[in-house]
Amino acid sequence: PQAALAAAASEPAAAATADAAASAGSYTPMAPTPGIGMPVEGGIGFQQQFSKLGEYGEWIHNSVLLPIIAVITVFVLLLLVVIIVRFNRRANPVPSKTSHNTLLEVVWTLVPVLILIGIAVPSIDLLAKQYKPAPKGALTIKVTGNQWFWTYGYPDNGEFEVVSNMLNVPGQPTINNGVREVGSEPWDGPSHLEVDNRMVVPVGEPIRLQITASDVIHSFAVPSLWFKLDAVPGRINEKVLFVEKPGVYYGQCSELCGAKHGYMPIAVEALPRDKYDAWVLTHAGGKIDGQATAASETDYLPGEEPAGDASEAPAADATAAAE
Amino acid sequence: MATTAPEHFPAHSDDHAHDHDHKPGFFARWFMSTNHKDIGTMYLIFAIIAGIIGGAFSGMMRVELAQPGIQYLDTFAKWFGAVNPDFNSTLHVWNVLITAHGLIMVFFMVMPAIIGGFGNWFVPIMIGAPDMAFPRMNNISFWLTVAGFCSLLCSAFVPGGTGLGAGTGWTVYAPLSTTGSPGPAVDFGIFALHLSGAGSIMGAINFITTIFNMRAPGMTMHKMPLFVWSVLVTAFLLLLALPVLAAAITMLLTDRNFGTTFFDPSGGGDPVLYQHLFWFFGHPEVYIMILPGFGIISQIVSTFSKKPVFGYLGMAYAMVAIGVVGFIVWAHHMYTTGLSVNTKMYFTAATMVIAVPTGIKIFSWIATMWGGSITFKSPMVWAIGFIFLFTVGGVTGVVLANGGIDDNLHDTYYVVAHFHYVLSLGAVTALFAGFYYWFPKMSGRMHSEFLAHVHFWVFFVGVNLIFFPMHFLGLQGMPRRYPDYAEAYAHWNQIATDGYMIMAASLVIWFANIAYAFVAGKKAEDNYWGEGATTLEWTLSSPPPFHQFETLPVIEEVHHH
Amino acid sequence: MGNLRAGPAGCARVTYSINGDEGTMAGTKHHDYHILPPDIVPLATTIGAFTFTSGMVLFMHDMPGGHFVPWLGMALLLASMFAWFSKIVKEAHAGDHTPVVQLHQRYGMILFIASEVMFFVGWFWAFFDFSLFPSTIADVVGGQWPPKAIEAVMDPFDLPLLNTLILLCSGTTVTWAHHALIHGDREGLKKGLWATVLLGLLFTSIQAYEYVHAPFPFGQNTYGSAFYMATGFHGFHVIVGTIMLIVCLIRAYKGDFTPRQHFGFEAAAWYWHFVDVVWLFLFVAVYIWGGWGYPIH
Ligand code: HEA
Ligand code: HEA
Ligand code: CUA
Ligand SMILES: [Cu+2]
Repeated sequence: PQAALAAAASEPAAAATADAAASAGSYTPMAPTPGIGMPVEGGIGFQQQFSKLGEYGEWIHNSVLLPIIAVITVFVLLLLVVIIVRFNRRANPVPSKTSHNTLLEVVWTLVPVLILIGIAVPSIDLLAKQYKPAPKGALTIKVTGNQWFWTYGYPDNGEFEVVSNMLNVPGQPTINNGVREVGSEPWDGPSHLEVDNRMVVPVGEPIRLQITASDVIHSFAVPSLWFKLDAVPGRINEKVLFVEKPGVYYGQCSELCGAKHGYMPIAVEALPRDKYDAWVLTHAGGKIDGQATAASETDYLPGEEPAGDASEAPAADATAAAE
Repeated sequence: MATTAPEHFPAHSDDHAHDHDHKPGFFARWFMSTNHKDIGTMYLIFAIIAGIIGGAFSGMMRVELAQPGIQYLDTFAKWFGAVNPDFNSTLHVWNVLITAHGLIMVFFMVMPAIIGGFGNWFVPIMIGAPDMAFPRMNNISFWLTVAGFCSLLCSAFVPGGTGLGAGTGWTVYAPLSTTGSPGPAVDFGIFALHLSGAGSIMGAINFITTIFNMRAPGMTMHKMPLFVWSVLVTAFLLLLALPVLAAAITMLLTDRNFGTTFFDPSGGGDPVLYQHLFWFFGHPEVYIMILPGFGIISQIVSTFSKKPVFGYLGMAYAMVAIGVVGFIVWAHHMYTTGLSVNTKMYFTAATMVIAVPTGIKIFSWIATMWGGSITFKSPMVWAIGFIFLFTVGGVTGVVLANGGIDDNLHDTYYVVAHFHYVLSLGAVTALFAGFYYWFPKMSGRMHSEFLAHVHFWVFFVGVNLIFFPMHFLGLQGMPRRYPDYAEAYAHWNQIATDGYMIMAASLVIWFANIAYAFVAGKKAEDNYWGEGATTLEWTLSSPPPFHQFETLPVIEEVHHH
Repeated sequence: MGNLRAGPAGCARVTYSINGDEGTMAGTKHHDYHILPPDIVPLATTIGAFTFTSGMVLFMHDMPGGHFVPWLGMALLLASMFAWFSKIVKEAHAGDHTPVVQLHQRYGMILFIASEVMFFVGWFWAFFDFSLFPSTIADVVGGQWPPKAIEAVMDPFDLPLLNTLILLCSGTTVTWAHHALIHGDREGLKKGLWATVLLGLLFTSIQAYEYVHAPFPFGQNTYGSAFYMATGFHGFHVIVGTIMLIVCLIRAYKGDFTPRQHFGFEAAAWYWHFVDVVWLFLFVAVYIWGGWGYPIH
């Protein structure tokens, strides 16, 4: 399947730039901010969000869904308590015979309908926004899930590929041969989440992620960027990733993929464009074609993108418009 | 309908008209049974054994998850017979545990207990029938369930990928279950589903036929107890959903062994097709597990409130609605697979619709109790616990139903929390409610009400401690099916494991109660719950005669205003 | 015992008697349902099924016993099923199949066929997924249906059409048999059944011939997979249906079936019609539509 995938996803070669530029880059991995882009000890809510979509999603959850479900649950609990107090055998020795009340039945059918419609409106809106295709000229990154590591291809930057493995956890068996222990470099993030080579992306611009897998299904997920899309062999799933602030954002493979499913984390390092370019140039064959910067727009929110290609069909599913 | 007609029994079939009060000998009674109550009893015992095994697996999972790092999997690998397991095969044990746990709990604990056990015992009695429509087929339904379980057990001891056993998750997604899992383990697992599925389909045919054809004179559809309604709807779900699973896992089988490419992209196949087929079955399956529970709760709530069920017709047709809509929402399990936006919008909307009929049920139970004169006997306490816990699980389902929100929560512990609230705290609570409600009827011995209450409270505290923190873990992004996790997740995981210990203690109390009943329990009267209990099983002795209703009861219309 | 309130809505009253309140002897049934004595056959059948599935695992993984255990299981399975159905026939003769029990059997058969329909829904689902959304990524498919790797398909208007006619024809012959049976014409019954069985066998033979000469392989791509598994399961059902009809034929010779009671025959006939209808869908969807405009073999 791999040859087939490569063939289908081939991109037109980018404008050639001087090979010499490759050696010009310099890059030191960024040290993550504790508690940012990663779970926090004892946390009870979403991770702090770093994309507009994430903020919107978090708002829908925290300000619409959570209050509604909490009120419903408490309401049900309250009714039960009232019943226990008022209608136990001692308090109410003679049971009523009521078994119908049309008005009540209509109410408890209609009110949930209205509540659900209320939920559906922002929810559908969120979906629509998530599915706006990337603008023309957006940087494309190819993500491939493998048992049990990720590879990131940069077709717009000279076709180089980054192989990303989890770092070993002290005191635990070697995860992937040859990979150092977490914490042995000053920029290493938390164990189980840090990798040897991060997926580096430019900040503040829409990125077209094309996600697939080479063996079994994996899932590319970064909670703090509100991003999760399955890596399915034989399909290229596509979606826009947008990071608002420079930083390191961690995620984990989110589809059972065999023994080391728990050991193939994702680390996204978002850098300003110039630093990103410098990182690109540290790779053999890495080059900058300058097109991507044109598309950048700091407050890009897919749903509000005014770009002219709105008529384009959502390209979330490259092989089959779903059944 | 049926009337007495002794001339239907010619002389040469004397063996058929044998003395019905005379029970067959041990072997004939338990290995050759054609008696719905005996078969029901066997289902219950089987389910309890399976529940203990599945529960023990979840205990192994919880101790491993108590802290980050891998602590016990190595030991567990050796228990399963691995010699010197390497790290991959150690990790593989985790996947085997969760797979076995999920499959056992779903197919070999909840379904056999609630449909095979309580359904078999009480559906015929509640409609005034002497037995099931197809007594012999009833028996093979049970044995096929046992055979399926044996097949699943076999799979644990043979190679299946990176180690022994099938490590695919209960969903058996391709291509992990095809190219990703060489070795016979997954094939044994697939056949486990074939065997028990065939048994369930036959059971479904049996229940539907029984309910349609064997209602006693006067027992119209609209007078059937709600438990019977719930089993009827469940049987239809089984009948129409399971064959699609059978087709799907047959495709897995041929992809694995005979060179087809249904799910193999290099031959043009599509792994996502498997997910569609699986969830077309899988979503109805979750209602298969809960609907009979709804039925049990309706009986109990009405009995102990000493009131008829509020909005009986609405209750019955709400279950029908849940069953019907349940067939058109399956892809809410697949929001992250790359569905088109329109598809996601449709499934978001359709899924939320189910909250409406479910709400009707919740509120009708509450209205049944409202104005009642309630005695808080153990079944009632469990039933009230159910209503609350199921609501908690149901509303998080509504959160997950939002495709855009599920993009963050899919395959995290939020989902694990959701489905354990509806299953381990919903379906299982309904099981215990039914157990305490009917145990004396089935066994003839009263359990201890005190122990039953203690069981409830300890269980209630324990399971909430296990599963409520999982919402937090999920929101914080902890993925499912992980044996190991980042330090930040340690806090709530530790608490969940502590909760497991409390829950386990409650099961010990339950066993003690059963032992107490058999050793020292009072003899149960015919109607030990008193005037509120009005369905037909309360007109029989406890336990009922080997063959009840040899003269059919007649249900008469009573007009009161 | 007296009257009790019963029923969920509490608006019904039940009268009943357990131990002969009405002056009848305990242990005598007063209804038309069929209460069965204990029976070992279900357990035997299950052991057969389990032996078969486990044997298949051995076979598929070239493990010891793989060429023996499946056959053993199959033999046990078939023997048990034979015993099972023999008992049903015997019980029918004994008069156990009262009208209400016959009604059970009708319900049972209809529901069984409903579940079979859903089984085929699964295979059609796969077929339509592959044909409506052919993979653009697999070279062997190349985004077209039939896939690129398929050089030619079967000509639907050749042998498949013949097979369609054969099955349709067999649908009428089985109805002929039924009518003859209802009118007490036992010779007509036998002739109709003979014709149906022969047509069924003819169908199966032609299908086997087609498989052997098919211009595309079993596995390797979605076309072969969907085609052979769907038509193959249909073919399996034809064989099962044929066996059912053969049993009916034997029973007809033995003098079974009366114009009023012959559900064994009717069940076989229903099943046969079901198999027929599935074929029509296969023929139209898989053979005609699924190969439209493609080179034929
Ligand atoms: C008994 C089993 C059971 C039941 C009853 C349910 C009920 C529901 N489930 Fe659940 N579900 C599972 C078992 C169950 N589920 C399992 C096992 C999984 C995971 C499978 C796997 O991946 O392994 C799962 C996963 C799952 C997902 C996929 C999550 C993911 O993988 O990302 C979704 C998404 O929509 C979902 C939704 C729902 C909804 C909307 C309901 C609704 O039916 C709930 C309706 C009930 C209520 C809403 C509460 C009562 C109502 C009221 C008090 C009225 C007022 C309420 C409102 C107006 C909101 N479930
Ligand atoms: C009915 C279903 C059911 C039940 C009851 C349970 C019960 C429990 N489950 Fe279950 N669980 C699943 C279904 C169920 N689970 C499924 C489908 C999965 C997903 C698998 C997958 O990912 O593929 C899962 C996954 C799962 C995970 C996630 C694993 C992972 O993703 O890595 C965890 C983690 O803690 C867990 C824990 C537990 C615990 C501690 C219990 C405890 O509550 C267990 C205690 C035991 C009982 C409460 C049962 C007692 C009952 C009886 C003994 C029988 C009673 C009978 C009568 C009364 C007649 N389960
Ligand atoms: Cu890769 Cu899970
Ligand atoms: Cu669902």
